[in-house]
Amino acid sequence: MSTVDSTRIGFRDALLKLAAEREDVVFVSTDSLKVVKGEPFLEQFPDRVVELGISEQNGVGVCSGLAASGLLPYICTYAGFLTMRACEQMRTFVSYPNLKVRFVGANGGLHGGNREGVSHQFIEDVGILRGMPNFTILCPADGGQVYEAMLASADIDGPVYIRIGSGREDKVFPDGTPFPLGKIRMLSDEGDDVALLAHGFVLGRVIEAAKRLKAEGIKAKVVEVATIKPLDKQGLIEVLHSTGCAVTVEDHTIINGLGSAVAEVIAENVPAHLIRLGLQDVYGESGFPEELLDAYGMRIEDIVAAAKTAVAHKKQ
Amino acid sequence: MDIQALEEISLSLRRDVVEMVYRTKDGHPSPSFSVADIITSLYFEVMRLDPSNPDWEDRDRFVLSKGHSCPVLYAALAKKGFFPREELFSLRYLNSHLQGHPYAPKTKGLDATTGSLGNGVSIGLGMALAARIRKKAYQVYAITGDGELGEGMIWEAAMAASHHKASNLTVFIDNNNYQSGGTVGEVSGPYPIEDKWQAFGWHVQTIDGHDIAQILKAVENARLVNDKPSAIVCKTVKGNGVSFMVGENSWHKRVYTDEEYKQAIKELGGAV
Repeated sequence: MSTVDSTRIGFRDALLKLAAEREDVVFVSTDSLKVVKGEPFLEQFPDRVVELGISEQNGVGVCSGLAASGLLPYICTYAGFLTMRACEQMRTFVSYPNLKVRFVGANGGLHGGNREGVSHQFIEDVGILRGMPNFTILCPADGGQVYEAMLASADIDGPVYIRIGSGREDKVFPDGTPFPLGKIRMLSDEGDDVALLAHGFVLGRVIEAAKRLKAEGIKAKVVEVATIKPLDKQGLIEVLHSTGCAVTVEDHTIINGLGSAVAEVIAENVPAHLIRLGLQDVYGESGFPEELLDAYGMRIEDIVAAAKTAVAHKKQ
Repeated sequence: MDIQALEEISLSLRRDVVEMVYRTKDGHPSPSFSVADIITSLYFEVMRLDPSNPDWEDRDRFVLSKGHSCPVLYAALAKKGFFPREELFSLRYLNSHLQGHPYAPKTKGLDATTGSLGNGVSIGLGMALAARIRKKAYQVYAITGDGELGEGMIWEAAMAASHHKASNLTVFIDNNNYQSGGTVGEVSGPYPIEDKWQAFGWHVQTIDGHDIAQILKAVENARLVNDKPSAIVCKTVKGNGVSFMVGENSWHKRVYTDEEYKQAIKELGGAV
């Protein structure tokens, strides 16, 4: 495997590998093939591309029929065109009959949508799907992790959603690092002062924040929660039990996403003070990816400050 | 099977629908009646099925896009032998495999989950394209309503199906001229229906949807078309077969009184 330098390439390369290994894999495009640089797939597997034009509801409906007829469809387009425009199709015709359709949502978050602006920046996708039974929801942190998540999730029974970005993601993990399907992953563990919980393209910032906290004498655990559903509750309970406070960081609205999921675990299982970073019930705007994360409260400094506040609150 | 035998089956399916709605006190009777002859033709003459092997990969597929007509589909599946007739009378009750709208994982012989309108042509197209990809010879049939043509997704699917020359997909349009709120002419205005499907690149026929010979002939014609999907516009009557249901749109969803039940069964050739 060559280097996977973006989430879109990670998706495409994994799909090429899966299609070479198994005959049931098909790529359903809603004029989205070029978005993920899918031309090599079209060249190698022309009979396994279903191009439907710009029609996402139809696209998901077609996936329902394909999956009910023994195929494993992967539909990839912008995250909101799937989870919002085709929300009911995902729910009633895929999630409810528990069909094996794979949804790959591009432009996840402000980072993913960046200069396109709000119509193409999707900060609600994870929250919308979290309420649908049967769904597996994966938010890998970089291109190599998307590649690994694609391979790891191919045989899951029922629908799977994989969140990808714009193609402008920094590498967090060396290529070939396994994707921790269904489990949280401890990335660094300096001590029990605070847990920093995150997924996606903000993960590099969280790792950096932990280093700064360490320099200031605050011992953090950095925990990646890349599988939002089913959530590794037991793993989270253990972390939260040991730290007693946490900061969640997500490039998503803080309503219904990672922060909410962690709040539910805390409320039902283990008392802990929680601060949720992410979109504070507002929309974004156009801008460069990293600049947007900075502008909407996800600077390294914001994470450091939130961690300190959480620790101070715990000591009260 | 000869036409007379099929007509007798169609009457028996309608009687089962009356019985289901009367006994369970719920369900959509008249939308079931307008598609009864189409479903009879498909399940008892046209489609290749094996009730002892409901998931047979080479079977023909059926998608009831107007899912609320499911009582008559359930009656057809029971008569075909997918499950015992007595189970029809569990319709819409807790723990029944017969949901208020079709749910494929629970009901043997059911190919597609449907209910919210506008989705069935896309699902059928997916099944039809899967046949091509998997080199299978099966056919896919779907029924949509006429009021249902107001759903934009129908036309997304119509455009995509003709683009893909999905000739193994045949869609019946149940043109009973009514939707929930009144006549389709009053409420939504889908006419001229034929011109729209033609403009989207479909092979189009118009028939009497209660004439089984015409239905079978139209299916045969559709099979001969190898470069287009087929639309069969079926002129139908909501409540067809029971005098007091025809022209009375409250039977879209209404429960029979004892007297109405007896009269309906009698008019449909049954004994109470």
